[in-house]
Amino acid sequence: MKRTLTMLFWFGVMFAHFVGIMALAYALGGLVEGVLPGGSRLTNLAILMVAVVMGIASLLTVAERKWSSLMQNRIGPNRARINLPILKDSALVGIPHFLADGMKMLFKEDFLPATANKLLYNLGPMLAFAPVFALYAVVPSGPTVQVFGHTVDMVVATPDFGLLYVFAIASLAVYGTSLAGWSSNNKFALLGGVRAASQMISYEVALGLSLVGLMMAFSTVQLPAFVGNVTNELGLGNAATGQARYLWEGKIGGFDIGLPAWGFLLQPLGFFLFFAAAFAETKRAPFDTPEGESEIIGYFVEYSGMKFGLFMISEFVEIVVLSGLIVVLFFGGYHLPFGGEWLSNLALMREHGWLYGTILGTVFWAKVMFFVWLQLAIRWTFPRFRYDQIQSLGWKILLPIGLFNVFATGALVLWDPSLRALAVFGLLQIGLLIALTTSSALKSEEGHGGHGHGHDAHGHDAHGHGLPAHGHAAHADTHSGAHSGAAAASH
Amino acid sequence: MADPHKPVSPPSPEAPNPDTDAYAHEAELEAHLQTKRMYVNMGPSHPATHGTVRLKVELEGENIAEIDCEIGFLHRGFQKSCENVTWTQCLPYTDRLNYVSAMMNNFGFLNAVEKLIGLEIPERAQYIRVIGSELHRIHDHLTCVAATGMELGGFAPFLFGVEARELIMDRVAELTGARLTTNFGRIGGMNRDLPEGWSEKVIKSLDKVMSLVDEMDGLLTRNRIFVDRTKDTGIISAEDAIDYGWTGPCLRACGIDYDVRKAKPYWVYDRMDFDVPIGEKGDNYDRYLMRIEEMKQSDRIIRQALKQIPAGPIILDDWRIALPPKPEVYGTIEGVISHFKLVMEGVQVPAGEVYDATEAANGELGWYMVSDGSGRPYKVHVRAPGYPILSAVPHIIKGKLLADLIPTFDTINMIGGEVEQ
Repeated sequence: MKRTLTMLFWFGVMFAHFVGIMALAYALGGLVEGVLPGGSRLTNLAILMVAVVMGIASLLTVAERKWSSLMQNRIGPNRARINLPILKDSALVGIPHFLADGMKMLFKEDFLPATANKLLYNLGPMLAFAPVFALYAVVPSGPTVQVFGHTVDMVVATPDFGLLYVFAIASLAVYGTSLAGWSSNNKFALLGGVRAASQMISYEVALGLSLVGLMMAFSTVQLPAFVGNVTNELGLGNAATGQARYLWEGKIGGFDIGLPAWGFLLQPLGFFLFFAAAFAETKRAPFDTPEGESEIIGYFVEYSGMKFGLFMISEFVEIVVLSGLIVVLFFGGYHLPFGGEWLSNLALMREHGWLYGTILGTVFWAKVMFFVWLQLAIRWTFPRFRYDQIQSLGWKILLPIGLFNVFATGALVLWDPSLRALAVFGLLQIGLLIALTTSSALKSEEGHGGHGHGHDAHGHDAHGHGLPAHGHAAHADTHSGAHSGAAAASH
Repeated sequence: MADPHKPVSPPSPEAPNPDTDAYAHEAELEAHLQTKRMYVNMGPSHPATHGTVRLKVELEGENIAEIDCEIGFLHRGFQKSCENVTWTQCLPYTDRLNYVSAMMNNFGFLNAVEKLIGLEIPERAQYIRVIGSELHRIHDHLTCVAATGMELGGFAPFLFGVEARELIMDRVAELTGARLTTNFGRIGGMNRDLPEGWSEKVIKSLDKVMSLVDEMDGLLTRNRIFVDRTKDTGIISAEDAIDYGWTGPCLRACGIDYDVRKAKPYWVYDRMDFDVPIGEKGDNYDRYLMRIEEMKQSDRIIRQALKQIPAGPIILDDWRIALPPKPEVYGTIEGVISHFKLVMEGVQVPAGEVYDATEAANGELGWYMVSDGSGRPYKVHVRAPGYPILSAVPHIIKGKLLADLIPTFDTINMIGGEVEQ
């Protein structure tokens, strides 16, 4: 109970921060826009990328340890403490740990292996970190609103080529890891670097293909266009576009409710493909063979101090960026699932655009945090793939499914441009997936008692065992043929 | 094939001219890419080598072309050390053989010495040995399964396993006074009886341990990634396993039904009702399943033994074998003399030799002992189950992927202490 309350309290703290930061971002954007037209992009760069993404990424180092400790019946980090009188020497749920870690990494010796290629060795961490960080530039984190009479939008850059920028920059990250593996002149690191390169390059294909269906459905590659805007947003009289559009809608009073055209509903297959492929790009478990700490220790084995820290933090930045992309592409971006039209047409919102922006921006970060959590949960649940199993998953499973998805989506979009047919198809896929998952879970429960290793069958005294010696002899005759499972117990 | 980097000189006039003939170098185009083998040292300090073993691996890409297991980094001279101390003083050394299941080594050693002397220990002591052995069998298997989970990237099963181990260690500490190096039992019986209320505590701990085992089972056994990693990797055929001298769960995973507890029951195992799981394929997955199932069987044995255990003495009442009770030592001259002679000269084991084996967690733990009739061993040889198993690793893994080495090395559960002695 105390643990739950503590968690709720820190959730509150987190959301308060998001609200504050988004309000600050809009206010600052409005002020700067008055002085320097277009300057709000610079404040977005500072606030969204440097403060929020980096902040979340560095706090994730603690969050990951805390969350994994919750999953594993442990207490988790609580040793780093700041002894201020008001805090009563409390552990602050481990948050000071990321400061301690940062200090540790900065003060460690910057070790350079004698036989390493110095230039490339130093370039490796930069090339690994910079691209993932730059990816966030195109992710819109809040609506475009009027603040102090100036238009402020909550995105750093809106290039025409949107998603293509994402693909291009994401594929740059492979240079950092493979250079790090090669230049440190260590065999384990080389193996890791080669694994990383082959894995990241092969998943580029599935990554690109998984989003083609989505591009066709919304006929755009620009991320703000994927998010779209609700009908008559802030009284501007626009028609609804992108994912803010309803496929089927109804009204209860002035409150609009319906099934939004979220990418997840239109493209569930695309979502799972994108999620899997992007997860493989982050090189975290279960796709962490380049690191594989129990086999080859990893491509960054020779790095120390903040250079290693850059590799580590780039993984966490990737988590945040990937969550942001998923939210923007598949889960309606900063929009609410319903009631968005009602909210945007409140007199208060029309009058104070920054308030509308702050609310939706917080919605966006809430969604992002959910996917961050999901990635942490996955990372701590699954064992690691084998190197060749990752390749066959990418080429033999994800790629054909991706191709099928492209053709199916294309046909359905041509047949019904209102996307309703596509949504029905998507809902069918989701239903099928749920049915398959639950049925296999049921089957495994039955199978557990039936064969497998059959421990349920003889765990009780009531079962009537023969004499041990006799039962044992009888077993010797039967064990070769009688047991269908991989292993069976004798009687 | 000749070195492709070296130009053929002088060019013979019959050779096709690459300037005019586009197919001149066709043979070179079809030839395999020349790759160099890479030599990698895994260990002696490597996350996947339990204890300190060095694996000299020759890699061709990611495939293992050659592998050589080098042991001896943990060699402490167990056999020689035993020759310099009394039989009783050997006991602490046996703790350090398989340090994950120390009690099994203790009892195996004592059983062999007792066989050499020709002793029948009291029934209660036999029950205590069964209980202790099975507790440590669970402990050993937990370590194996947990480490397998961790090294395949699943950290949660590892911590569940460690939590369960912790419970067992608490009970073992109450029983023996030590968490790891138990040094439990003496020639002729036990040195301590079960503590007051210990049985109930064990039952309670076992309930918790088995629920944790179920949790690990649930996390791993049907996990697609785990199954992919372990199934059909590290396969050894039953014939090869026998040739290499495999025993224990690893042999049984190949489908050979051999368990010393059933084949040649010792102590009170013949009164226990338990099953011996048998695998089919001899791959990593089967070896893992053997461990999970054996833990459940050990749980059954302990519960039965705690129910059946009779009252009575825990050690022989023979002052030539067992220390006299303290009031006798302090109160009678016979007591003092027996105590002095036992401590200074040791148990007088009659001259002769013996081989005796018990079923330890990883297989048949055999002892070959020679006594020259003095109080000290003339020779103590231990047949550690891990040694033949480790020796088969190159046979299993040659030509396979480097990543397969990890689960294979985990599921054979090589323990540095007993292999390197």
